Amino acid sequence: MDPVAQQAFNQGNLRANAAYQMGRRRFTVDPITRLEGHGKIDIFLDDRGDVERAYLQVPELRGFEVFSIGRPAEDMPQITSRICGVCPTAHHMAATKALDDLYQVQPTPAGRKIRELVYNAFMLEDHALHVYVLGGPDFIVGPEAPKGERNIVGVINKVGVEVGKKVIAMRRRVRDIIAYFGGKVVHPVLGLPGGVSKACDPAELPKLQETAKDALDFALFTNQVFHDIVLKNSDYVKMITSDAYTHRTYYMGMVDERNRVNFYDGLLRVVDPNGKEFAKFPAQKYRDYVAEHVEPWSYMKFCYLKPLGWQGFDEGPKSSIYAVAPLARLNAADGMATPLAQKAAEEYFQTLGGKPVHHTLANHWARVIEMIQAGETMVNLLNDPDITSPEVRTVPTNKPSVGIGVVEAPRGLLFHHYETDDRGLIRKANMIVATQNNAARIAMSVERAAKGLIKAGNVTEGLLNKVEMAFRAYDPCLGCATHSLPGHLPLEVNIFNRRRELVRQLTQG
Amino acid sequence: MSARCGWTSSPGSVCGDSAVRPEADAAIEQPSAGDGAGETTVLILGLGNDILTDDAVGLAVARAVRERLQDAQTVRVVDTEEMGLSLLDFIAGHRELIIVDAIQTGKAPPGTVHEMDGDALCLLPRISPHFLGIGEILTLGRQLGLTMPGRVKIFAIEVADPFTLGTSMTAPVALAVPEVVNRVVVWARSNAAAAASDHP
Repeated sequence: MDPVAQQAFNQGNLRANAAYQMGRRRFTVDPITRLEGHGKIDIFLDDRGDVERAYLQVPELRGFEVFSIGRPAEDMPQITSRICGVCPTAHHMAATKALDDLYQVQPTPAGRKIRELVYNAFMLEDHALHVYVLGGPDFIVGPEAPKGERNIVGVINKVGVEVGKKVIAMRRRVRDIIAYFGGKVVHPVLGLPGGVSKACDPAELPKLQETAKDALDFALFTNQVFHDIVLKNSDYVKMITSDAYTHRTYYMGMVDERNRVNFYDGLLRVVDPNGKEFAKFPAQKYRDYVAEHVEPWSYMKFCYLKPLGWQGFDEGPKSSIYAVAPLARLNAADGMATPLAQKAAEEYFQTLGGKPVHHTLANHWARVIEMIQAGETMVNLLNDPDITSPEVRTVPTNKPSVGIGVVEAPRGLLFHHYETDDRGLIRKANMIVATQNNAARIAMSVERAAKGLIKAGNVTEGLLNKVEMAFRAYDPCLGCATHSLPGHLPLEVNIFNRRRELVRQLTQG
Repeated sequence: MSARCGWTSSPGSVCGDSAVRPEADAAIEQPSAGDGAGETTVLILGLGNDILTDDAVGLAVARAVRERLQDAQTVRVVDTEEMGLSLLDFIAGHRELIIVDAIQTGKAPPGTVHEMDGDALCLLPRISPHFLGIGEILTLGRQLGLTMPGRVKIFAIEVADPFTLGTSMTAPVALAVPEVVNRVVVWARSNAAAAASDHP
């Protein structure tokens, strides 16, 4: 970030923190919540009592760069994976790739394939969690279902206990693949510059192959569940494609050499709101394409396409806002990398009116399609003779200076950027997490939902639910977006009149 | 400057992953595993993050409690940075659950210990974008036919700063650790005995 922007950001940050502290008047002692922070939505009304602006804010985690400075760069895959208990593997892998870049070293074929295997396993299990547990209640149980049923238990009631057991057991088996290579799921110790720390024992191969095959079957089963419950219900499809959940923005995603979706590696491709390629660049050029906008009311940084300049929270051809995550990945690529996923994606675009799909809620379906690709990729990698090669690492010999790594985290692109001295000690560290990439579009979604539900000062019942649905589709790691610990997010909505006086406060619960 | 931070010395996480998971696996496949011989009945679950200043408190307490309860055969101590659904693996198969965690209510000075019974848990709480509460996990586990704790006790330590990356707790929170450890140990011992007599 340049110094002027940094200064503006810091000032905004201070103001927002002060305002936030002032606003934190209402707390609930609720032991289950691990109150790391509140999701806070501020809604500002105009003279007529209609919504002028609505903002989503979350508390921030401080001190990433300070904490990193002086540490050996090799520690970053471990340190960054500890920041977040939700997507440790994504941070671990982005950091590991940044180390490859830092030391200018290419992983061996086996090293790369083991990383990809672990990464696809992570993608599949994390998406499964969202489909069944986090986003599932909105669709599988239904958006209009009583609040008491819109949770995982409601999902189990709908799909059956046996399916529930299958979900839990499958997720654990897939996580065991990550644990086999990385030692632990939550803090993997796998990635090294130039490769990985552990080879695949040929004796373990049959078991891993079986898990991969079952994981693919599970992904296909999930696709069927989604068809049966969501797509066969015309009300759901109508809701997915409704204006309330539609924004015509740019999309950014990682693609392989044939412009197909890739979660682990590739070039970054941006398409415009009509689906036409706008840019394609390597991670190392990210600062030429991604800039961060700071608003005085928030400490969130809103990413936008730098070549287009900040154009406000606007959509359509004049927008410079882009989205990441499943919806964006499918839009930004020419296709999926594996045949069954490709078939599913073709149906997706056909059903939703062609490419690009601008419907935020389609993220849920795109997520299921990505599970299929992750499953197929796992199967392919475990049938690749390279996978059991003991040559899992190229030892780096170059002097380090700058390293930039990127992966597709389940919730979108994740950038890690380190600069070191020639001993490899960190001098500078930055990261852009998925939800930061998505922050502007999420803000638009929240505002759209609020506008639909507040008229002339009257707040429609169900506001919180609709607002939540608007941003839950992005699978936001809200804590992480502000570099904070993710946890339970008691959502609080503050409604201010035109004099900026708090007139109403709603707490989800 | 030092490269040493929490993750280089967290034996508890190793315990959490290697010792508990196989048992939880068994519990998933065999819902009655909790009744098997040699089972632990009480689980002490320390939650938090070692590199987020005061958020480490639940882990620190659990590690100290483990030292003190080495002789208690029916008590298992886990400290973990995992959250959400992953906790089901740890919890399944136990009859008693003690949670030690950081909390920020803003209503009490840092270092205050909030002691709560599981009755305080709303079993099906608010839906959150990325989290399952303990209450939901208990309900989910029961729904799936797993042995889940019937009693839950929570020790939540009021913290000052769970948001800054750092490996040392603030003074008032660090000072509270010995007292919390004592309270957890006393509670665990008395309940391990009670649980044993409830379920001979």
